[in-house]
Amino acid sequence: MTTPEINQPKFLRISRRELLRVGGIGLLSTSLLAACGKQKGVIADKAIASIGTVPSTTALVEAEITDAVLLRTAASLEYNVIDAYSKSLDAGYFTGDYAIAEIAVKRFRDIHQANATAINSLVVGLGGKAHRCANTRINSLYIEPAFALIAAEGNPDVALDSVTLAHTLENLAAQMYQGLVSLLSEPKLRGDAIRIGQSNARHAVILSQILNPGLSGVGPSNDPTTGTANLVAIPSTYGSLANLRVSFGPANQDGVKTMITMETPSLNALAYDFVTC
Amino acid sequence: MPQVKTGAPHAVPAMQPTEADIALLRTAQSAELTVRDLYNAALAAGSFPDAQLSVLELFRDHHTAYAQSLNGLLSKSAASTRSESMYSSYLAQVQSANTSLLALQTLENILVATYIDIVGSLVSLNGANLAASILIVEAGHAAVFGSAPTFNITSALNDDAVSLITTDTVEG
Repeated sequence: MTTPEINQPKFLRISRRELLRVGGIGLLSTSLLAACGKQKGVIADKAIASIGTVPSTTALVEAEITDAVLLRTAASLEYNVIDAYSKSLDAGYFTGDYAIAEIAVKRFRDIHQANATAINSLVVGLGGKAHRCANTRINSLYIEPAFALIAAEGNPDVALDSVTLAHTLENLAAQMYQGLVSLLSEPKLRGDAIRIGQSNARHAVILSQILNPGLSGVGPSNDPTTGTANLVAIPSTYGSLANLRVSFGPANQDGVKTMITMETPSLNALAYDFVTC
Repeated sequence: MPQVKTGAPHAVPAMQPTEADIALLRTAQSAELTVRDLYNAALAAGSFPDAQLSVLELFRDHHTAYAQSLNGLLSKSAASTRSESMYSSYLAQVQSANTSLLALQTLENILVATYIDIVGSLVSLNGANLAASILIVEAGHAAVFGSAPTFNITSALNDDAVSLITTDTVEG
């Protein structure tokens, strides 16, 4: 049963059929490569064949995140808070059990005005341009929707929701300044930022005591019915940078209010040098 | 606002504490140990109703946690003892039913002022971030003493206090 070829090297044991198959694959590959390559006498055209017109593209704006940009953003958030407080005060939202919030919010608004001025002084000191208006993205994403819910027809909690919004904005501001510590390059600026941040944290505690008064409203606790965390003055051991989830407006058919999740300004909400009021 | 792409990032700051940073953070840790012991002294005096007791215990536990966090950051350079001069300055006040809450509020404000100076001087980001996350809550502690059980906005907002950081500490 043995054949004389059995001891020959493998390449010599190839059959005629295999030789034809290998040769055919090689021929096909060569033809394909030749078809894809440059052809003699044909002028190269970089355009890909297309039908219709191609719209022009707009290059993204070059933006550098500097200390001045970060502080301009802080100033813009201060104006968000000032404007929101003015809106609530003008509308007379702080009434009933929450009437005392009017006194607090008026005082806080003055402090935020002073904070904005102080922050803009730092910006100018860094060679930047002062930013004296609210952050449009924070307004459109969080504050305007919150006010729309507060003013919604049939909302029984206008005063409660208004204090809740104020409390959330103060926490948001405190978080922003805490977050700036890790972003600002100059230690002195970090100190200036957190000095303002700690005052916002105090505002948040005062407003939380209006919403949930007394010593029972200080430390973390849960609603015994729903199991959800209660709004308290000191919810955690360390300053949190987590987003803030708050409910506003009239409840739906299931008794649930609309929730808005707020977070501090990020890349697309910074007050870059080219952002103007 | 338009979509943007970011340009060159900042120069990356140091993450770990420098020698000068260590001196500042040791001061903070020693102060935390002192305030923790003063809370213990106030609690031991036993002049608080239950609701107030639980708040003071919560704040005491926070200061214990802060001292431990600083211990982790400082490692072998950590401070292991409280400031005896600070402790003796406030001991009688925290033990008196009439002055204890005001004294504890003052201590919280001293810590806040100290951390503000520390954040404004630290080179290392790890230390600055930890200090910032602590002082935000300690400012809240101070505000609580101003707003509960008696609601007083002026007291809650009052952050006048002398920092424990001296020029010598900053210069290491």
